[in-house]
Amino acid sequence: MGLKLDNVSKEYAGVQAVDHVTYSMKRGVYGLLGVNGAGKTTLMRMLCTIIRPTHGEITWNGRDIFEAGADYRQILGYLPQNFGYYPDLSIYDYLMYIASIKGIRPAAAEKRADRLLGQVGLSRYKKRKMKTLSGGMVRRAGIAQAMLNNPKILVLDEPTAGLDPNERIRFRNLISELAEDRLVLLSTHIVSDVEFIANEIVLMKDGRFFFTGTAEELVSSMGEAVWNCTVPKKEVNHYLKQYPVANVKTIPGGAELRILCKEKPTEHAVHDDATLEDAFFLYFGEKAGDKIDTEV
Amino acid sequence: MILKYELKKIFSKKINKIVLITAMLLAVVFSGFAITSVRCSDREGVVHTGVTAARKLAADKNKWKGKLTEEKLAEVVKSRQEYNKKYGEAIPDEEYGKTIQSYNDICAFLISVLTPDSEYDGNVLYQLTEKQTEDIYVVYQDHIRKMVEEYGETKEQQKFLKKQYAKIQIPPVYKSADSWGTMVLYAETYGIILAVICGFLAAGIFAEEFHNHADAVFFAAKYRRTKAAKSKVIAGLLVTTIVYWVGMGLLSLISFGVMGVSGFGTPYQLEQPYSIYPMTYGQYYLLAVVCGYIASLLAASVTMLTAAKMRTASVAVCIPFFLFCVMPFIGRMFASYFVFFRLTPDLLLNVMGCVKDLKLFQVGGIVFRQVPVLMLLYAVISVLLLPFVYKSYCGYGLKKK
Repeated sequence: MGLKLDNVSKEYAGVQAVDHVTYSMKRGVYGLLGVNGAGKTTLMRMLCTIIRPTHGEITWNGRDIFEAGADYRQILGYLPQNFGYYPDLSIYDYLMYIASIKGIRPAAAEKRADRLLGQVGLSRYKKRKMKTLSGGMVRRAGIAQAMLNNPKILVLDEPTAGLDPNERIRFRNLISELAEDRLVLLSTHIVSDVEFIANEIVLMKDGRFFFTGTAEELVSSMGEAVWNCTVPKKEVNHYLKQYPVANVKTIPGGAELRILCKEKPTEHAVHDDATLEDAFFLYFGEKAGDKIDTEV
Repeated sequence: MILKYELKKIFSKKINKIVLITAMLLAVVFSGFAITSVRCSDREGVVHTGVTAARKLAADKNKWKGKLTEEKLAEVVKSRQEYNKKYGEAIPDEEYGKTIQSYNDICAFLISVLTPDSEYDGNVLYQLTEKQTEDIYVVYQDHIRKMVEEYGETKEQQKFLKKQYAKIQIPPVYKSADSWGTMVLYAETYGIILAVICGFLAAGIFAEEFHNHADAVFFAAKYRRTKAAKSKVIAGLLVTTIVYWVGMGLLSLISFGVMGVSGFGTPYQLEQPYSIYPMTYGQYYLLAVVCGYIASLLAASVTMLTAAKMRTASVAVCIPFFLFCVMPFIGRMFASYFVFFRLTPDLLLNVMGCVKDLKLFQVGGIVFRQVPVLMLLYAVISVLLLPFVYKSYCGYGLKKK
């Protein structure tokens, strides 16, 4: 039971965006981690019945979601990565429109919209046009629209993209609050978004799931592979070429490196506990974040 | 509720508001043009234009209202011939204002009756004898018989023409209809603008989800491919209907409010005695306005379909412009060679030209005139396109495996 992906693939002009994914999800928060272009958005669009898979089947409680159609979408909430809206509608009118296409009766929609606007902290701005909102407010309006039908499945695609650190924390807490009693699939390439709220983490690369498990399992899958060491300045480049280096901190006469590898990289290296960020860096390499400047 | 918010989306867009305000302002401007285009000379020969001119002109001409009997025609012909003898073509302004202006329409009618298939020639009126004037309706009916033979290429067509001509009121009942005649021209020109505007507004309905990147939320909603898509189609038709009739209503209200409605029941054959559309000026105006509405519906349907297919409004909004503004030029070049160019959609906004045309179409034993064919054809096309609009929009992302 639950949401099940059975050998699901999606191909675009010879490119395998999602490659034979099989996975099951039940209640809880699932953090889908992957670099840009990993296939997260394509997978989510299939889960929201916007596009069909080229191959395989997606079922909800044993029923194909495309066959279930409106019955399935009735229990679905979706906040897409590029969340678009109608700029000239007020937040309230926008929510009422989305409520109408979600099949919520006007009286219920009004109550629900008011409650959600309060929950996401937009009550004061309900008459403001969508185009006048800040990025954070737009994302909050986005989560409100996704929650209008009190969905059993909530799909959030990069919900914190473009938000400042405060907004991001606020948003993360909001998702955690809303996650009760439903399946939340949250995609991101920012590790801290899922570190504290995801029950299960899925790593996706080149259209495939290559790790699924809890954050602890993901961290422990690395083994004892994190080392801190101080090296002279002239040797920094050598280490950067030799090992995956999660962090470089310049100090007088040298640099403190955080190296990810199984064997001790230097005689004076000290073992440290791994974090989710380390795991993400180890599995995704330099694609995980901005390219590290190798010239120190 | 979906429809309500679909309409709200359309009417809350800034660009749409600007377009709608422009459309309404143009209705006022066109009314102004129509009103000031009527010229009336007073007894001193001073030409008046402006808000009172049309009503003054109607009052002046309505001295001759009623059945145009042979006696009445003889009186007009006699007067006009006397003026011609006295002044030739250089009639003094005060004489024109005092007398000639009032029966000018009747003179034009007589000339048109006497020159059925040739250039309008004012001289025929001056050569008309008393006996010929008395027999004018005999001549008229004789010419009608000749027109039937000339333009009726088959027996069915001849029968059809006879039937239409039999509906013409002879002798006609005259009442000044300048306001109606003037307004057909302005209504058709304004109709082109409204059709382009309706196309613009309708195109946005099916492109805005993609333009605003709101498609993902829309297509993940319960009613995306059913009620929501249907509401978009209905919204397109509703907006077209509202915008067209409000715009045209405003134009008509202002213009007729100022110029008056004299001549609603005057037969159109006073202007075109051999037209195969037996109707009054009021019906003529309504026909032009209804054809304009069909053109607007067509513009909306075509742009909705294009926008739904292409996921953008940029190409779609150009189509009405091509159909109604560029097509007439192409049509004029090829109309004599290909039947198709006598049935192009721009002709819906050129009823003035169509009702003068004696062209008939025949399918089997059934004969049609151009305007009903155009109306039926494009009304049907407008409706038939709608399921395709719906299907194109609903099919988004759902390619078969």
